[in-house]
Amino acid sequence: MTDWVLIVDDEAMIRENLKAYLEDEGWRVAAFESVAPALGWLRDGDPCRVCIMDMRLPDMDGNSAIRALRQTYPNMEFLIHTGSSNYSLPEDLRAMGLDDSRIYHKPLADMAPLAAAARRLAARGDWP
Amino acid sequence: MPAPSPSSPSSPPSASLLPAALRRRGWSRVFYWGLALAAVIGAAIATVLDPLPDYGVLLDHWFDPARWEPEGFTAMLRPILWLLVWLGVVAVAALLWSWLLRRQVTQRTRQLLRELNERRQVEVALRESEARFRDVTEAASDWIWEMNEHLRFTYLSERFYALTGIAPDHVLGRARWEIGVADSTFEREQWRQHQEQLEQHLPFRDFVYQTRLNGNYNAGRYLKVSGKPIYDVQGRFLGYRGTGTDITEQIRAETALQESELRLRRIIDLVPHMIFAKDRNGRFLLANRATAKALGATVDALVQRPHPIVHSVAEETERMLADDREVIDSGVPKLIAEETFTDHAGQTRTLQTIKIPFIEPGLNETAVLGVAIDITEQKRAKEEVARMRLYLKNIIDSMPSVLIGVDPWGYITVLNQPAEQAGGMSWEAAQGRFFGDVFPQLEGQFEQVRQAIRLGRPIKTPRMTLDIQGELHYADVMVYPLMADSASGAVIRMDDITARVRIESMMVQTEKMLSVGGLAAGMAHEINNPLGAILQGSQNILRRVAPDMPQNRAVADAIGIDLDRVHRYLQQRQVLRFLEGIREAGARAAKIVADMLSFSRRSESRFAMANLEELLETVLRLAASDYDLKKKYDFKRIAIERDYDPALRFVSCDKTEIEQVILNLLKNAAQAMAEEGTSAPVITLRTRREPEHALIEVVDNGPGMDDKTLKRIFEPFFTTKDVGAGTGLGLSVSYFIITEQHNGRLSVMSKPGQGARFSIRLPLGQEAPP
Repeated sequence: MTDWVLIVDDEAMIRENLKAYLEDEGWRVAAFESVAPALGWLRDGDPCRVCIMDMRLPDMDGNSAIRALRQTYPNMEFLIHTGSSNYSLPEDLRAMGLDDSRIYHKPLADMAPLAAAARRLAARGDWP
Repeated sequence: MPAPSPSSPSSPPSASLLPAALRRRGWSRVFYWGLALAAVIGAAIATVLDPLPDYGVLLDHWFDPARWEPEGFTAMLRPILWLLVWLGVVAVAALLWSWLLRRQVTQRTRQLLRELNERRQVEVALRESEARFRDVTEAASDWIWEMNEHLRFTYLSERFYALTGIAPDHVLGRARWEIGVADSTFEREQWRQHQEQLEQHLPFRDFVYQTRLNGNYNAGRYLKVSGKPIYDVQGRFLGYRGTGTDITEQIRAETALQESELRLRRIIDLVPHMIFAKDRNGRFLLANRATAKALGATVDALVQRPHPIVHSVAEETERMLADDREVIDSGVPKLIAEETFTDHAGQTRTLQTIKIPFIEPGLNETAVLGVAIDITEQKRAKEEVARMRLYLKNIIDSMPSVLIGVDPWGYITVLNQPAEQAGGMSWEAAQGRFFGDVFPQLEGQFEQVRQAIRLGRPIKTPRMTLDIQGELHYADVMVYPLMADSASGAVIRMDDITARVRIESMMVQTEKMLSVGGLAAGMAHEINNPLGAILQGSQNILRRVAPDMPQNRAVADAIGIDLDRVHRYLQQRQVLRFLEGIREAGARAAKIVADMLSFSRRSESRFAMANLEELLETVLRLAASDYDLKKKYDFKRIAIERDYDPALRFVSCDKTEIEQVILNLLKNAAQAMAEEGTSAPVITLRTRREPEHALIEVVDNGPGMDDKTLKRIFEPFFTTKDVGAGTGLGLSVSYFIITEQHNGRLSVMSKPGQGARFSIRLPLGQEAPP
């Protein structure tokens, strides 16, 4: 089992805090401030099962990033961590199997539910 | 001897009896008296000298010649004496004769004088009579005319010209018909008859004709003539003599009178009111056409007939005749404001009658003159007006606005019912009073009233603030000018818009909140990121100083510090407490942002059919887990009563938002009851299916609220809680969610000490699941 979690968030402290919490939970965490270096890291590095994706990113929006990642890595699961209160899932993302339970609104007073969700997704049986 | 009558000195008595010489000497009477005296003395001496024994038969003695005896001197004297006696007797006889004559003369003279007087008097009378006749003929409107045997005028007295102004030259020598007008058939026939009469030498009287000749002043004089034929002693016809008079003025006066009467007749016949005159017995002396028509008769048929005969309704007739008699007897006019009268067609009419006493010229007794006006229509119109007035009154009374009608000087003419209530005074009582006295709050509007009337357009005073029994009210005041042609004035309309103003202000607040919501939505990302950093950072710090976490221990051991002691230190220095504070503050800020975000309008995409009972149970569970020491309430202490309507199961709504609203209500109730220390707190959750709404009620038995709180309860940032205990947004967010996002209603009923009841009504429109 791979224990990598990919975090893409342009807010450094959010990124760092999530990374710290998940590392404390036993994950290996790769955190990037934008999509491009994350894609570069995925090409070179280990396979990653779960991605925690922010929506507003400097180089592209989160939805497009998910679509792009899903194309390349069909088994990757996504959790959405957004500061936008009026975010709603686009239909094509729903068609990929995402639902409202994947959405986590900032600020998270408690990161435990997010960590638990990541663990649940990683534990799915369809992992090759 | 009586002296001649001294009254006729011009004729001396006995002038023809005594010798002129004697009379001239003036002694004739003395002479006779002397003779008589001598006879008496002689007789006396003879008696004395002749001593006769028997004196008683003296005369016999004397006149007895047988006893005469001449004796001495005495015998000598005797013949003288006797002569003297005879002389005396003659003298006495002469005196007697003279007296008789004189008496006869006096009588004759008197007779003559009388005759003379009489003749003189007759002469005077004759002269007077002549003068009178002359005066009369000259002064009278008559003249004398004569015509000869050929019926041609031969003489006209002077008066003719004076009276007719026609010069006699135009007339003399002509026949009467030559100077008369004979235009019409009637006139020609008249003339023919007159001519016939004259030719038959018949006397005629009062023949009237009009002349063709112009007088001084006008065309055609009317003449009235009378005449008799005259004959000479042999009975031969000499012509006519007669008098004539000019009756032009009279005819004209008569014509004028007739015209005037005709005119009067026309006028009174034209008048639609009944005009009539009746005598004491109810006999009509005068009636106009309207009267006749009402009684179903002609004017001629009516006059002189008694009222009861022409008017068959006995009761009315009696009443009218009684009125007539009253007026006649009292001599005072009477106004009968309203009386019924059944006309000949059987229609009942209402009359207004005035009756006045008057003296009928021909009758010389008081009669009654009446004018009756048919006010049936008027009365009906009046009733109609009254009905219409009532109708209009009802209309203006049913207006919710306060309506005050005033005249240009501000005096009240009309109030509607809301105005009566507002002014605390009935229309009748307020009428004629200055509106500012009845409505002190509107006193300042007088200027607007005047302006509206002057400019002829409405003047509006929006949102006037009024102090009604210590409460602030808002009113829109409109002053409309009244532009009716007769009465000008204005209507003041006042609408209490307090409720509207409150709603508006609430809407303004809501709009504000919406913009806040919009703003918050835009800013949420920027605020939520730093808040996330704060909250997540706090969580990580607390986790990483916790001594029981293996990773912490490993790092601590590696660098050689005692994690337990570090933790103790942090506790003693309250670092952990501060960290917790940071976390809570961050959480609260996050909550405020979330609440503000609720104000943004959302699409209805989240609407779904929700099972109401499940939804309520979920909320109850959430509430039970919301135990909060700091907020000092324990939801588990509160008894929950469920009163669910089995007919109401599914409601179309945004489930999470409705949950949020109900949770908020439950928390508020629990908090209020906890603060007040309600001994047996109960919250009742009730659902009811109403025709168009799903009703959800949250009822508590807590302290309740006063009116002031109730009025502002849904205002944003209004809170009764301590600072920090609530954001003041909960109920306004709830209100917003229900009214704006669900198109429903949220209302509250409460009184201090009697708990509170919040009612949510959600429209049932989309109840059936798709």
